[in-house]
Amino acid sequence: MKRFRLTAMLLAIVLLAACTPAASQEHTASLFAMDTVMDLSVYGEQGETVLDGARELIQELEGLLSTTREDSEVYALNHGETVALSPSTRELLDRALALCGDTGGALDITIYPVVRAWGFTTGEYQVPDSQTLAALLDKVDCTQITLEGNSLLLPDGMELDFGAVAKGYTGDRLMELFRQSGIASAYVNLGGNVQVLGASPDGDPWRIGIQNPDGEGYAAVVEVTDQAVVTSGSYERYFEQDGVRYGHIIDPDTGYPARSGLSSVTILSQSGTLADGLSTALFVMGKERAVQFWRTRDDFDFILIGEDGTVTISQGIEDSFSFPGEQGSYALEVVRR
Amino acid sequence: MKSTKFWIVLIAVLLCVCLAASILVLGGKTQSTTAHLYQGGALVRTIDLSQVNEPFSFTVEGPAGSNTVQVESGRIRVSHADCPDQVCVHQGWISNSVAPIVCLPNQLVIQIGGSPSETEIDGVSG
Repeated sequence: MKRFRLTAMLLAIVLLAACTPAASQEHTASLFAMDTVMDLSVYGEQGETVLDGARELIQELEGLLSTTREDSEVYALNHGETVALSPSTRELLDRALALCGDTGGALDITIYPVVRAWGFTTGEYQVPDSQTLAALLDKVDCTQITLEGNSLLLPDGMELDFGAVAKGYTGDRLMELFRQSGIASAYVNLGGNVQVLGASPDGDPWRIGIQNPDGEGYAAVVEVTDQAVVTSGSYERYFEQDGVRYGHIIDPDTGYPARSGLSSVTILSQSGTLADGLSTALFVMGKERAVQFWRTRDDFDFILIGEDGTVTISQGIEDSFSFPGEQGSYALEVVRR
Repeated sequence: MKSTKFWIVLIAVLLCVCLAASILVLGGKTQSTTAHLYQGGALVRTIDLSQVNEPFSFTVEGPAGSNTVQVESGRIRVSHADCPDQVCVHQGWISNSVAPIVCLPNQLVIQIGGSPSETEIDGVSG
């Protein structure tokens, strides 16, 4: 009898615990900024105040980095002015130039005039002729950017666009703001760039889906804490002409849309800036160079989805990676060091 | 024996309470098929996709022109957009909350269900 009583008590406790609601308070915000939709979720009592700060921070960064707003630092730089850089622009520039060098130019923040020639900045798509591209490519070279103290003057004809790293950097800054405000759990989705602080409010890792590049739904799921998960692909922003599909990620080597056999590249890293920049760079590199590059680093993991339907992941996420239940049409390869 | 009976009753009551609570909390939220249309951040229309028998379409006017939204049983898409980049049209049909359709020039967002936390994942990178 005693034994039964004990079991019954334990059972009662378990059932009671299952009925207790989660104590964390969710606060969410959704805004249009940096040419995209941003969703922010923070957990904790002070959430609303923190979200106000987050909105301000996003507006501030957009005000500095926008290529189209006439009062931005980037606009001034692109119009031949010498600019004493703000700390934020300076920090992002330093990180972007480091990535530019590390990736051998596969990520180049000076590719903007070429991207514009293809119409990806306005949506008025066209295939530029090869002479136009050659002339524009002459001005594409991130190694030509040199600061004098803290002021920058771009070489004649060169233009900057932080589009490949700005959202990632914004994610880093948001995480910093949340952390300093005492938030332990937060999720942001900056136009497809996911970045999380801590674990999800129930204590488990966040479960992040990777957009299926070939259709609806998601192709894979990763479980993460304190990570940025950024995906680049040409499956959404592209145009077709004479039966050829032209994607929006331009190879700085050729001036043409990158065609490396990959449908999408996802980078997981503690740094949103790194994840953002490398998702573009590794898409340009293609699988072989991407894997080689990864072997030289220890600050990120990747998921490469090939046009042939193969999925390649790095060993660091082997245990946190899974395919969603019903979609098993991909072959998985794990790359080790 | 008296105490045994007490425990059985207690557990039975607890089970009922938990069951009722589960139904209250989870009921109706799973497999949500309601599409929410937002423009400039404001909810402008909701459509229960599971109740759609005859396909229909309508247009939504925005700052950059109009979007034609097409609705069928269980799914929804933007079939035409005035904006040049056509990102929302390329996305095609959606039938779950994984990735909302977004037309930036017109600030139109079509989201099925509520937040992604209602599904088995917390968010989507893409």
